[in-house]
Amino acid sequence: MKLRQISSPFLPQPLLSLSLSQIFTSWTATTGGTMKDVDFSRDKDLAKDFLQNFADAEGEAKYISILQDVANRKIKAIQIDLEDLFDYKDLDEEFVGRVTENTRRYIGIFADAIDELIPEPTEALPDDDHDILMTQRAEEGNENADGTDPKQKTPSEIKRFYEVYIRASSKSQPFTIREVRASHIGQLVKISGIVTRCSDVKPLMKVAVYTCEECGFEIYQEVTARVFMPLFECPSKRCNVNRAKGNLILQLRASKFLKFQEAKLQELAEHVPKGHIPRSMTVHFRGELTRKVSPGDVVDLSGIFLPIPYTGFRAMRAGLVADTYLEAMSVSHFKKKYEEYELKGDEEEQIARLAEDGDIYNKLARSLAPEIFGHEDIKKALLLLLVGAPHRKLKDGMKIRGDLHICLMGDPGVAKSQLLKHIINVAPRGVYTTGKGSSGVGLTAAVQKDPVTNEMVLEGGALVLADMGICAIDEFDKMDESDRTAIHEVMEQQTVSIAKAGITTSLNARTAVLAAANPAWGRYDLRRTPAENINLPPALLSRFDFLWLILDRADMDNDLEMARHVVYVHQNRESPALGFAPLEASVLRAYISAARKLSPSIPRELEEYIATAYSSMRQEEAKSNSPHSYTTIRTLLSILRISAALARLRFSDSVGQSDVDEALRLMQMSKFSLYSEDRQRSGLDAISDIYSILRDEAARSNKMDVSYAQALNRISRMGYTEAQLKECLEEYAALNVWQIHPNTFDIRFIDA
Amino acid sequence: MVGRQYDCLVNPLGAVRFTFEKAVASGSDPASFDHKDWGVADLFREFLFDNDGLSQVPILTPSTVQVAQPNTLVRFRGMIQDMLGNEFYVGAYKNEETWNTNKFTDVSQFPMGTSPDMRVWERRLLYCVPVPGQNLWADSTSEGAIYPCTNIASANREKRLRDNCSVSADVDMQDSSNDLPLSPCAKKMRGEFLPSENITEGTDCGASMVPDSDGNDFACLVKIYDSPESDLKLNDVFEFIGVLTYDTEVKDDKGGDNELANSFPEDESVNLPPSKVPRLHCLVHRKLSADDMILSSPAMEPKPHLVKGIRESLLRHLTVVLGDDELAAHFMLLHLLSKVHARVDSFAVGKLSLNLTGFDKASISVFGNRINDAVKNLLPFTHRMPLTVEYLNTASLAPVKDYQTNRLVPGVLQCADGSHLTIDETSLEAGTLNSNGVENTKILKDLMEFQMVEYDFKYYKMKMNADVQLLVLSEAKSNILPADLVVPFHPSSVGPLGIVDAETLNAWRWYLATLRSLPHSIETEMQKVVEDDMVAARQADRRLGSEDFSRWLSMGRLMSVSYGETCLSHEHWQMVKEMERLRKERLQ
Repeated sequence: MKLRQISSPFLPQPLLSLSLSQIFTSWTATTGGTMKDVDFSRDKDLAKDFLQNFADAEGEAKYISILQDVANRKIKAIQIDLEDLFDYKDLDEEFVGRVTENTRRYIGIFADAIDELIPEPTEALPDDDHDILMTQRAEEGNENADGTDPKQKTPSEIKRFYEVYIRASSKSQPFTIREVRASHIGQLVKISGIVTRCSDVKPLMKVAVYTCEECGFEIYQEVTARVFMPLFECPSKRCNVNRAKGNLILQLRASKFLKFQEAKLQELAEHVPKGHIPRSMTVHFRGELTRKVSPGDVVDLSGIFLPIPYTGFRAMRAGLVADTYLEAMSVSHFKKKYEEYELKGDEEEQIARLAEDGDIYNKLARSLAPEIFGHEDIKKALLLLLVGAPHRKLKDGMKIRGDLHICLMGDPGVAKSQLLKHIINVAPRGVYTTGKGSSGVGLTAAVQKDPVTNEMVLEGGALVLADMGICAIDEFDKMDESDRTAIHEVMEQQTVSIAKAGITTSLNARTAVLAAANPAWGRYDLRRTPAENINLPPALLSRFDFLWLILDRADMDNDLEMARHVVYVHQNRESPALGFAPLEASVLRAYISAARKLSPSIPRELEEYIATAYSSMRQEEAKSNSPHSYTTIRTLLSILRISAALARLRFSDSVGQSDVDEALRLMQMSKFSLYSEDRQRSGLDAISDIYSILRDEAARSNKMDVSYAQALNRISRMGYTEAQLKECLEEYAALNVWQIHPNTFDIRFIDA
Repeated sequence: MVGRQYDCLVNPLGAVRFTFEKAVASGSDPASFDHKDWGVADLFREFLFDNDGLSQVPILTPSTVQVAQPNTLVRFRGMIQDMLGNEFYVGAYKNEETWNTNKFTDVSQFPMGTSPDMRVWERRLLYCVPVPGQNLWADSTSEGAIYPCTNIASANREKRLRDNCSVSADVDMQDSSNDLPLSPCAKKMRGEFLPSENITEGTDCGASMVPDSDGNDFACLVKIYDSPESDLKLNDVFEFIGVLTYDTEVKDDKGGDNELANSFPEDESVNLPPSKVPRLHCLVHRKLSADDMILSSPAMEPKPHLVKGIRESLLRHLTVVLGDDELAAHFMLLHLLSKVHARVDSFAVGKLSLNLTGFDKASISVFGNRINDAVKNLLPFTHRMPLTVEYLNTASLAPVKDYQTNRLVPGVLQCADGSHLTIDETSLEAGTLNSNGVENTKILKDLMEFQMVEYDFKYYKMKMNADVQLLVLSEAKSNILPADLVVPFHPSSVGPLGIVDAETLNAWRWYLATLRSLPHSIETEMQKVVEDDMVAARQADRRLGSEDFSRWLSMGRLMSVSYGETCLSHEHWQMVKEMERLRKERLQ
């Protein structure tokens, strides 16, 4: 008892509950006192003016045509874009500000304006129940000509057969749920998140209609909240005067209902600060916006942030606290494909700036997994995998894939998996899986029995899920035999065919495969041939555009580098500075998606060049006594694909010779990673070999000049280093065979 | 300090109002108080820390909560287990031309009209629980006598209360000292594996007074005002001091209109009825380190000779515990001192998980318990996990978000930073793992390798950083749980442990708590030596990788830290190398 006495002064409960609901209604309507002096009727005129006179980019009266469609009952929703309000030059900015800050009120104002503007239908419409009711009501209204009884006035809400939404600008950056604060109450906000729960769609009463047993009049009651108190006594003038206390009967058929759905939106993982839990928010969908989302959808929503007043006993207990919700105004689903990637804000500008930078190829490649040291050529290849080449469809219906496939093979602990995971993070749609660890569905697809309905359902595996994206498969060598056969089809035909349990179908799997595998005996065994080490069937290997071997060679410098790195990390608690600023993943993504929009073609004059290169590769292979590689027509397609991807990176519509050269260089480099031992055995000393390469290059182009970059490309394709090139340049310059440009190192042969 | 018009302890809200009125009177506009403090925090800080008021503030426990007055000052020590988002409330309003505030309370003092002069503010809700795995000695609430004697009206009741709370608190602490939210299966195990748990069984006289005698889920909903979000993170251990609102009067109202008002009726407020979970409006909060958990902290300076003495005695103790295996004791010492210092990319710098191998059924029953007891006596938060196929298949290790109740369901691995986890792999037998088991092993492995736990939010997973010292006891090298250090355990005798007096114990605790956070650096000269040693080692053995180098450096750090030094010396580096050499010998 004592407890209670002490606490009671602090709990003036009855008083509290009295005022709460009023507080919240006043809030939602006017947002505090600041709006008091606003002249709403003037704003209605402004709204009317806007709706009538707004012209879009083509000069058409956008909203008038929408209103005509509404009048013709083609659409129900009128969406007013805030962007249009901004663009409408006759409007003062204050009005726009008022609309965003007190959106709910302004929806009403716009609806009133639309009521006055709505044109006559231009098409004949069949009368439905609603229309018949409305005509009757209109006639009754005429009878009741004195019209002094406000209770009997038909509210405009019941006459409307459309819904008004005000939509936030699509360009503005959405808030995270965390950023929505108390100061946003009543305002139009845009947020992004993932839908976690959805309720059923239920009817929500908008206008309750009663008929009076005594006087026979229709009585209307507008419902603004989730809960309302039904009327029991007829408030009409006649009943009042007669003191009849007429009994009211709710007419469900005549009342107006709205579809209503409630959902929970949760913050996206990337928006949650470290060490925090994602927040969630309740969202209400009404009318046409219901059934637009389902759990698991990532959406951008614009809506009005509003408080829910507590009612009844709960209000007493909860004291002054308000639950809040977002009244949805528009929904847009998040796109996860490159093709639908929308550039945000200044990204376009940034890309243009990057594209002008000559070194963009290197810069982008280095920004992939910047924390992984070295491996520059591999990163270049991975960049090209992200960019890809356009798909080609021949006239006879044959498709040629544009996706590049890459296989990384190497000793354990050379950061293969990190590379894979990083690529997946950069790609807008990427699936990471391991050859062995994937579930029953596996990599391709499986027919499974639905536990609830007992129906057979087709479930896509990782490769199907990665359609139009990238599928990274770790532990490729440990894959199940069944998956391995299926992957042949995926890699060339880009489909997954399934014939199980009476289901015969073929699913799209247009995905770029990035595989990582260990050599046959766990570690690369230098005593055995590469083919023995690789341990993958040639049919599979030939499908990869690149096969890269990453070896952990005993190298003093590398070891010291590693030791330094580890010591640095422990000493300074951070990674050593990279020496360059890597581009952010979002910028990379934007650049790549912009590049993917192009589909470069190969000019006629290059065909000869590529053909020669291909045939010389074939010849070289025929010459060597132990062919390691399988140069097939697939190789030629690979060259074309890689060149096209390189051209895309330059934002060029046609493939240039430099692209082909770089493609050939990369292919050669990937081969050297496998067969570097052979190269060292092949006679000829490096310096004279380089000389002959350069001589051939000059002879081929019939010029006396070879640029340094060109020379470097050529010799590195043959497996020589830049240091060796420099040595060669100096030596032969001393012999007066050529002149070297002092700054650019370009080579000019001295004609003998 | 002039005489106050209020008592911070009994009437903290009075103090809040007083400062508010003062601030308004001095011309501040209440509208400018959004997310701001008008001097309340300073006032209470001064009262608590400068004027030594902290010790007078009662600590909230399942027993004290029954007698604590609503709207008085209390404190609660616990871990942030879940974050329930924010809450909007009318922060300030005008009542007949005077401004009033509702900050730090659930109900308003005066009726509020429909006046437009109203400010809506927000506060954050944190769901806090007693730190999982907290050991008896680290629990401040187990000292029942902390309850203040001065401010309670009825002396009679106070007396009853005191008996009551000291006894029942003890009982509770028994209970909660190991209160991992274990699955039923695990609960059963607890009985089997922790025989040493039942030290004394308190008389049950007080049990009837405790509301849910199951003190395990004694939680507190803390409402945080003003302080920036980055201050309070999930799994942090804090002491919150604030105003208690604990409404025993109101019963659950799952009544009619509630249903109508919300189509998801299982909202958080329904699940946390105020009659079960007290609310605490936080005025002041402070982060607790392992140091704060030692009650009678000896408050020593880490002086070299002192530290050396403690180190030696602790090492001796560990050697005895480990059956005279000196090498294992050395590794154990370093392991107990380890802590994640930094994260570079995905790598946690400073972790040092230890795997003692060579246990069999007989030795685990002896040494398993000895190790466990020793660790429990030394570190504030400890857990023990018996790894069996059944456990892996049924337990929920990682926290999962339950969207029905909108709560984060805690998992075994949701523990405070600096917790110690002993995994006993000896009882693991061949068997089939189901999908849950596979998931659980992956989680354990991730924790081992990256010190991260993936929390399951159903629609996506989120990696949360953890800092858990992991000790694995196994027959042979554990492949499921690849530890940084694998040390074959060679006990030679099972000597009596002897009795350790409380003072020594406290000194050890202080030693482990303080030294582990000492700074550390490597001089340039020493860096060169270390680098050369590493290159030479790698030239000799290609299998060594960056993980091994990293481990050496961690050990080097811990070695010098264990002597209370902040700089790596030649001597300590040699010791590390020697230890590694001896360990390698054993592995062969």
